Amino acid sequence: MLRNYFKIAWRNLIKRKVFTTINILGLAIGFSSSVLIYLFISHHLSFDTFHEDSDKIYRVTTEEDMGQIHRLATAPPGFAKVFREEFDYAHKVAKIVRQTNLIIDVPKANGTAKFKQDLSFVEADFFKIFNFPLVDGSHNVDISHPNTALITAQKALELFGQKDVVGETFVLNNDKTIKITGVLKDVPKTTFLNTEIFISFQNVKAIGNFMASESWGGITSNLQCFISLKPKQDIAAIETALLELPKKYRPRAKNKHIYRLQPLSDIHFNTDYGGLSPTFLIIFGVIGFFLISIASINFINISTAQAFYRSKEIGVRKVLGSLKQHLFWQFLVETFLISVLAAIIGIVVTALVLPAFNNLFELELSLKSLFEFKFIAFFSVLLGIVSLLAGSYPGILIARIAPVLALKGKLNAHDTGGAFTRKVLVVTQFSIAIILIVATLVISKQITYAVNGDLGFEKASVVMFDIPPKTKQTTLNTLKARLKNTTGIQDVSSCFGSPGAAENNWGITVKYNNRPENEAFSTTLKAGDIEYLKLFKIPVIAGRSFFNDDKTKEILVNEKFVKNLGLTSVEDVLGKSLQLQGQNTTIVGVFKNFHNQKFTKEIEATIITPHHKWYREIAVKLNYANTKTTLAQIDDIWHETFPNDIFEYRFLDERVAEQYETEQQYLALSKLFSGLAIFIGCLGIYGLILFFINQRIKEIGVRKILGSSIKSILTLFSIDFIKLILIAGVIATPIAWYVMEQWLQGYVYRTQLSWRPFAIAILSTLLLTLVTISYQTIKAAMANPIKSLRTE
Amino acid sequence: MILQLKDLFKWVNSGGQRIFLLNDIDFTVNEGEFISIMGPSGSGKTTLLNVIGMLDNFNEGEYTFLEESVHTLKEKHRAKLYKEYIGFVFQSYHLIDELTVYENIETPLLYKNYKSSERKAMVADMLDRFNIVGKKELFPSQLSGGQQQLVGIARALVSNPKLILADEPTGNLNSTQSEEIMELFKTLNRQGVTIIQVTHSESNAAYGSRTLHLKDGVIVNTH
Repeated sequence: MLRNYFKIAWRNLIKRKVFTTINILGLAIGFSSSVLIYLFISHHLSFDTFHEDSDKIYRVTTEEDMGQIHRLATAPPGFAKVFREEFDYAHKVAKIVRQTNLIIDVPKANGTAKFKQDLSFVEADFFKIFNFPLVDGSHNVDISHPNTALITAQKALELFGQKDVVGETFVLNNDKTIKITGVLKDVPKTTFLNTEIFISFQNVKAIGNFMASESWGGITSNLQCFISLKPKQDIAAIETALLELPKKYRPRAKNKHIYRLQPLSDIHFNTDYGGLSPTFLIIFGVIGFFLISIASINFINISTAQAFYRSKEIGVRKVLGSLKQHLFWQFLVETFLISVLAAIIGIVVTALVLPAFNNLFELELSLKSLFEFKFIAFFSVLLGIVSLLAGSYPGILIARIAPVLALKGKLNAHDTGGAFTRKVLVVTQFSIAIILIVATLVISKQITYAVNGDLGFEKASVVMFDIPPKTKQTTLNTLKARLKNTTGIQDVSSCFGSPGAAENNWGITVKYNNRPENEAFSTTLKAGDIEYLKLFKIPVIAGRSFFNDDKTKEILVNEKFVKNLGLTSVEDVLGKSLQLQGQNTTIVGVFKNFHNQKFTKEIEATIITPHHKWYREIAVKLNYANTKTTLAQIDDIWHETFPNDIFEYRFLDERVAEQYETEQQYLALSKLFSGLAIFIGCLGIYGLILFFINQRIKEIGVRKILGSSIKSILTLFSIDFIKLILIAGVIATPIAWYVMEQWLQGYVYRTQLSWRPFAIAILSTLLLTLVTISYQTIKAAMANPIKSLRTE
Repeated sequence: MILQLKDLFKWVNSGGQRIFLLNDIDFTVNEGEFISIMGPSGSGKTTLLNVIGMLDNFNEGEYTFLEESVHTLKEKHRAKLYKEYIGFVFQSYHLIDELTVYENIETPLLYKNYKSSERKAMVADMLDRFNIVGKKELFPSQLSGGQQQLVGIARALVSNPKLILADEPTGNLNSTQSEEIMELFKTLNRQGVTIIQVTHSESNAAYGSRTLHLKDGVIVNTH
């Protein structure tokens, strides 16, 4: 029986090629999207699950109370030692300090090769907590002595040209020679850890005494502390015990620390500490569900419509003794066959587009996961559910058809699946499509608003590059002077960080006007020279800019700073003293607020003061002249000044845009998936219009003979669909409005929702549908009516 | 006696009026009979045949088929009954286009849950009997009308029904083909199959043992 079902199903598919193609294409897109989304979600869910007892691994975080709570994934340098020695909770405790852009010299046959690398300084126990084994699979790392390092096989190949580099050496920061004591297996992509070179913690002094100390005086986000707990620990009890530590080790500190333990599994998904928002994955999942639903709806609509064609077969089968369940199962088998074909095509398509998908979203998804049991289980369930959902409704309808009517070909719309049901389904499809289009438009508008809008500073044609550590002031001044004299360069400024560079933020506490206490709010320090305001075109609205002299100790504050002090007039702060980092300065001017951070964050109190010790970057404003030549000249000057370093630059507008990486991903996704949604929807409409025309071909003939124009026939057929899309628009608008309003709530500075994206979404959907309908309808309307009216 | 209709009515309501499709039908069929039903278009011939074949319901009256009261049976039982005992032959053959000759004949057996080996034997027997072994792999569209109807009859007969219901079986055929089909029916009848046919043609009716004339849903005479 089953074989017979498959046979007839196959022949039916071959016979109705157009409908089969529409069904399979739509479902294949649905499956392919589902697979991609599955891979994407499982990629994110698999972060750091490969460590032994990963549920016992925690990261220490610090909550700093400075008016508002600041959460930082770090602990004071002294924390690890105390936790190790004074408590009995942990198996192992290990510190890691991450550092970016360090210079590494690798000996080569002809001299040395220089590289700029991100690396980590780690305590040996780090490799006892985490599962990052050596290439031989063991965990016997040797990194407790000074000047030792571990490197991944991949990185070894990149730097040394070979994988076996045990015993090789490199020079760190033009200073210490480091010996490689082990080669690690490549670190999986699915981990919080993003360095491939590990240097003994004994060497951490090279980048700062503070991080090498056992100090409790402050925190730095470069340093992290990991703990693997002994079995059966009560986290809440540990955190309570940790409340005592600040009292003991930093009794006089003004900003209160609270230490917490963050589970390893939380690291990837906690937005407080720079993790990915889980909502992102949920939205992704929902979109996947939407797409497969739209495809299934197509299937249902086309199948129910097709029952009309198949009425004779169904009638005959009933007469020959088929029971309802026979027909129902026959249809389900047919659906299953289509689903399987679509699934195969979908998976092939996935395999083909995966590289592009990875590229688009900067992912490293691998096809290997397609062979995992988890995936096979997921996909089988998906296939089963889709077949059942898409097949059962048409199956029931078909089984219900009365044989006498079917044999006579006298089925009406009701028998072949309620027209109402079909309308509801079409409206659902297009509501989803319209919501996705609106989302695309709104996200795109917000990104444009944030990236191209007025941020309060100039970011066009500004090039940023690092100042090597420990650069002398005279060297820096000479460099700046030489750059300034280069054609094509308008302004040069040295600073701690440009505006709009949230990663170079320095939060401090200040004491205003000799008040008894530090101010309760956190202040962003943007050290910069006299050119800073000029180069970035940040206007001074009260007082004056400072003189280019470190010793005068002059400082500028922004409007928000004045507001946070509780003052109304910007003039009030002029001439007052401000204590920061143990120094006394005088406020000489107030500058206009600018957006230092993403639009999701409120503008913070910010101060600018010149201090050459704090300069980390140089900003160069280019003229309209030939950028390429100018950059080459900068490169030359740089190398003459710092022969032992590597020159890397970045444009400021790119840096600003990078803040919106997640949003850009959202946008790319919603573009892709709204495109697919509308495509599948139109496929469905195409199928339906083919069916309707076939069903009403006689009516068209009669109308033509009676003198109807092509236009009026076109209207006759499209008016129903236009109505449905308008209804879909009416349903989609409030939903899309609500969802996008919620999304925009995440931004302190946001674009306003207007009617425009909604109008564009509905109109473009309408237009696409009309184009879809027109071709077949016009073809039918232009055909000779004699053909359609000829009876058997 | 194979079946009996008693005081049977079937009607539809149209525009507040009741239109009778079958009006007070009393009619008994005995085993081994070959009955022809005649009458003008719209007289209710096909409706009567459909009611006998249990494909259509009636509004009033009694219908007994092999001692079972059809009017009291649930649809499932009714389907079982006609599946078991009745074979249908149609004017436009109603072969399933997507199935081969062999598969078309096999289909009723599938629904009766015959084993694969049994099905093979029974279909082979039919193909032999109607001399269409050479055509078993062909699809209906590759056959002439007469051949298609032959397959239709073979399909109706394959599960050894007691009764064959034929709705204008020769309506789409030319006179030679027509005669062949009627001869076949006559032979089948001699072998013991009860046949009821609807026909327009007096000559076809003449093959039967009894003719029933219908007009406006009423049996006007029997001879």
